[in-house]
Amino acid sequence: MNSSVIAEAVRDGAPVVKSVRVQALTLTSFRNYERASLTFRTEGAALLGDNGHGKTNLLEAIYYLELFRSARGARDRDLVRFGDAGFHVVAELDGSPRGALRIAAGYDAATQKKKVSVDNVEVTRLSDAIGAVPAVLFSPADVALVRGAPAERRRFLDVMLALADRGYLLALQRYRQALAQRNAALRALNGHARDAESLDAVAAFEPALADAGAIMLTKRHAWAADAAPAYADTLDAIGERTSVSLSLKRSAAGKVDDSEMAAWLRTTFAAQRAHDVRRGTTHTGPHRDEVQLLLDGRDLRSFGSNGQQRSAAIALRMLEARTLHSALGTAPLLLLDDPFAELDADRSARILGLLGSRGLGQVVLAVPRIEDIPRALTGLQTVRVHQGTLRPDA
Amino acid sequence: MSAIDELASELARLPGIGRKTAMRLTYHLLKQPAAQCLRLADALVGLTERVRQCEVCYNLTEAPRCPICSDPRRDVTTICAVEEAADIGAIERAAEFRGVYHVLGGRISPLDGVGPGDLTIAALVSRVQRGAVTEVILATNPSMEGEATAIHLQRQLVPTGVRITRIARGLPVGGDLEYADSVTIAQALSARREMA
Ligand SMILES: [Zn+2]
Repeated sequence: MNSSVIAEAVRDGAPVVKSVRVQALTLTSFRNYERASLTFRTEGAALLGDNGHGKTNLLEAIYYLELFRSARGARDRDLVRFGDAGFHVVAELDGSPRGALRIAAGYDAATQKKKVSVDNVEVTRLSDAIGAVPAVLFSPADVALVRGAPAERRRFLDVMLALADRGYLLALQRYRQALAQRNAALRALNGHARDAESLDAVAAFEPALADAGAIMLTKRHAWAADAAPAYADTLDAIGERTSVSLSLKRSAAGKVDDSEMAAWLRTTFAAQRAHDVRRGTTHTGPHRDEVQLLLDGRDLRSFGSNGQQRSAAIALRMLEARTLHSALGTAPLLLLDDPFAELDADRSARILGLLGSRGLGQVVLAVPRIEDIPRALTGLQTVRVHQGTLRPDA
Repeated sequence: MSAIDELASELARLPGIGRKTAMRLTYHLLKQPAAQCLRLADALVGLTERVRQCEVCYNLTEAPRCPICSDPRRDVTTICAVEEAADIGAIERAAEFRGVYHVLGGRISPLDGVGPGDLTIAALVSRVQRGAVTEVILATNPSMEGEATAIHLQRQLVPTGVRITRIARGLPVGGDLEYADSVTIAQALSARREMA
């Protein structure tokens, strides 16, 4: 599908593909919004306004309903409008893969309590509500995915797979809990094991760590086998002439299934125990594995140009959208925070064309001026964002 | 500190009781006849003076040995290891188990500063080593910490040659599959059995 077809589909207001859509959104005391509501059309909206008036905040609020955490890494209390007691975000949904019709999140600054409800029922565990609004946020800050430390790419991988696959989310949560326990046991030893028994508390959490870690590694490797060629193709289609490759620095090469992987991890954790005691932390395992991006065999992080790194970051987000789309069978919401600002019109048209190649879901675009809207998205309804107020154009 | 404040702050230390509830309870007690308050005070004194740990199984008791350990009809060849004394009550209500218990006094949780040495594991191992015991049932909670404790116990008990079993996990009877959480469902699935 080329970009003009998408433009037509968007103009016609036809739902191009099975997708999750936000029908209405209400923010209360969120960032610079005192109270604001917006009704969305099926195809989405284009938010227009000067920087600092609340475009990014609105996208952040929508994204908050996906993970119940700020996409920008802000603490909940920093999302509360200055001087207010807490914030509240609620969205009416259509086409959620979890069948949710209404999702709400509230935070009270005094008690530091977060409340999340799905269809007006408060969830006891956040993980039960995560993923009701699958969304992918494209932002200029994404370049940190490429330029930043390995932890950035690991987080990208974990968040994406957790949203695509509930089994991954549960394994990740168990892994983190076991890791926290094992690390606490290691710290308690203060760098040296008095005797064999003092290592027992460390060893006791290794089976849980290995079992959950094995599920994570198996799923990561299955994803990478499919994602690596797709990533190269995407960059090629965007118009990057050099070859960038994506791979996992595998900590368990050659292990094919969960049980083989778990056995291998158990052996590894046991073998590393003495070393871990000296370091006071667990230094091997899925939490230390890397997503590697190589430019002609060299680390893109240090050897890529600004433009190459920017394209590589956008391609990672496209991979995220692709992964969610195929895993959930529904197109995720695309939140585009002026991501094409530094790209030429051809390149951004190609990116939108690729994003729409399997059918474009709902799009919420944020750009400063109407002329910044890429041609393919000119059919979107425009909404003026000014000092925390929202005014749709007629 | 006034007597009112003193009681309220002691009550507020209890689990699930906040500052407001503590004040409400304090004023409630003030409105009661003095005799009633004194009975509560006596009960608290009795609790601290009379209740101790069973010298065999660490269950809570007022005698050197708890009622279960002193009951000649109980099968002393089977020991059920639990985290807390309160767990014994839950198992006893099911009236299924005829063996004896061993209260570990918690579960391994380094994040809470609890290591294997803080539990009554050595006492359990020596109970088994003294002979007579043929099976130890590990009935720690199905949480990650309970599981880690069971794994550690297993390692400690293997050299004794005793049979070691773990209570099954799965769906609650009378529960609806639809409302069970995913972890429970996953465990119930992995522990599935053939229909005879
Ligand atoms: Zn006893």
